Amino acid sequence: MNLIECDGLTKRYGNTLALDNVTLALPAGEPIALIGPNGAGKTTLLSLLCGFVQASGGSVSVLGESPGSQSLCGKLAALPQDALMDPRLSVGRQLRFYAQLQGMNRAESRLEVERVLEQVDLLDSMNTKPADLSHGMRKRISIAQSLLGSPSLVLLDEPTAGIDPPNAKMIRDLIREQSSNTTFLVSSHNLDELERLCGLVVYLEKGRLISVGPVTDDDRHDFVTLRLGSVAENDFIAAATQIPGVSGVTKTAQGDYLIETDNDMLTSAILMQLLHEKGWRYRQMTRGKSLEERLYG
Amino acid sequence: MLPHYEQRNFFAMRLIALAQDELLRLLSTRRGMVSLIGFLLIWIAVLNYGILPAAAFFVGASDSGLTELLLPRLGLEAWRQWPAPELAVFWVISLYLLPFFALLASADQTASDRSRGTLRYLVLRCSRTEIFLGRFLGQLVVMTLVVLITLVSVLIVIMLYSPDLLSAAVARSPVIVVNLLLLVMPYIALMAWVSVMARSARQATMYAFILWISVSLLVGYLQAKFGPMPLLDWALPGSQVSQLVRLSDWQTLSYAPIPLVHTLIFLVLGGFMMRQRDL
Repeated sequence: MNLIECDGLTKRYGNTLALDNVTLALPAGEPIALIGPNGAGKTTLLSLLCGFVQASGGSVSVLGESPGSQSLCGKLAALPQDALMDPRLSVGRQLRFYAQLQGMNRAESRLEVERVLEQVDLLDSMNTKPADLSHGMRKRISIAQSLLGSPSLVLLDEPTAGIDPPNAKMIRDLIREQSSNTTFLVSSHNLDELERLCGLVVYLEKGRLISVGPVTDDDRHDFVTLRLGSVAENDFIAAATQIPGVSGVTKTAQGDYLIETDNDMLTSAILMQLLHEKGWRYRQMTRGKSLEERLYG
Repeated sequence: MLPHYEQRNFFAMRLIALAQDELLRLLSTRRGMVSLIGFLLIWIAVLNYGILPAAAFFVGASDSGLTELLLPRLGLEAWRQWPAPELAVFWVISLYLLPFFALLASADQTASDRSRGTLRYLVLRCSRTEIFLGRFLGQLVVMTLVVLITLVSVLIVIMLYSPDLLSAAVARSPVIVVNLLLLVMPYIALMAWVSVMARSARQATMYAFILWISVSLLVGYLQAKFGPMPLLDWALPGSQVSQLVRLSDWQTLSYAPIPLVHTLIFLVLGGFMMRQRDL
């Protein structure tokens, strides 16, 4: 069964068309990336799935139910963008209340809140009010609330936005750990992060669904992406184009090159040898195009 | 192995949890406690400078025969039917004071939670109707506490000054509690409705004020244009108060349908809007 099914899903805010006739089906399993530029409709899609807003047209089902259905209680969770908990009440008290609304009794809710706070490394903040926490800590608390009761599907709207690198890594690790039992749909602008985390990518632009597909293009063998240290651009391009099978070398960003070839494995091996001989240091080499290059290159 | 929690999807259970949370929010936040203490201080002043002197005045006036002249003019003929003058004055003062407190205390049922985004966390766990009704019930519980506290304070005064009247006053207390709760219910329901439209408690209070003035003007206009229309006299919450002042004991319940109908209308309107609004 598909976790999420949308058929002709449309959402208008006044005269603005935020989501335009989106049809897609997303399966359970690896985390799913939801990407697109600002105003693409990512948050609108997540809000529709959560039942925060109502569709202007089309249909949507989550875990076989309509958004907002009581059957989804405890099965669907989310980190809504910009949503804040009550600043006047302690984190633990609010999370216990949420857990009780999900059907847990007092003892169960206490244990469950301790479990999720421990997962985001904020057990010490149990009795702290959200207003007294940093932005990053509040975000982690919000992620903890989305893990209450181990739901089947968690929708995360920009979970690492505004978060420092160590905490962003902690959130990514947490998603990885939980993804054996829970399917995550993660909206983010950080394509590197999503590339490492997700198996499937949903790409929206101006409210329209542009593509749904795997994050990596393993089936293609015609590109190598290379990130070099400080190497003269002309020297590298001149040397790389001499490699047998290479039909083009393009600089995509400072130090980043996209090499078009007829055999990515062979080219990678020769490239390594070339770099070794020239004493050029590389930072990263990957087969195929990066997600960014595939979407915007 | 994942922890497993039985899905206890009971409407009543979540409604009680939400109402309980509303009460705890009042008692565990500084703002809630300040409101409560503020009200208690006002009430002590009302008790000391309002109820006690007024009760003493009517007792004195009764002794001198002045009440026979004065009370009918004030529409307070029924005061004699109350077992203690303090209770009679409390009844009249509460009829006019409690609605204002109910309006102010229950203004923020869902407004700030919506603007902050907290409602999004809640709707993932319970229905919008449950949130709407749970918050309404919570405010009703808060007002029940307020009614009980004020009533107990008056009973204490009666115990101190007229102990022989206490048992009769206690026996009459349920009438007062039921009536005052019926009185405040539509005000809480009205604030539940306008709170759905507002983004803060202040805005909700303003909406209620605008609504109140608009309906009053409309009723006045319609009656001026088309002549007296008795049904329109009951259009606003609290329109039965002028009649209740003249009554005592369980006969006061003869006007109970009015606040109940008001409450029902506001809850239906508010519940509908709560389900429709984007969060």
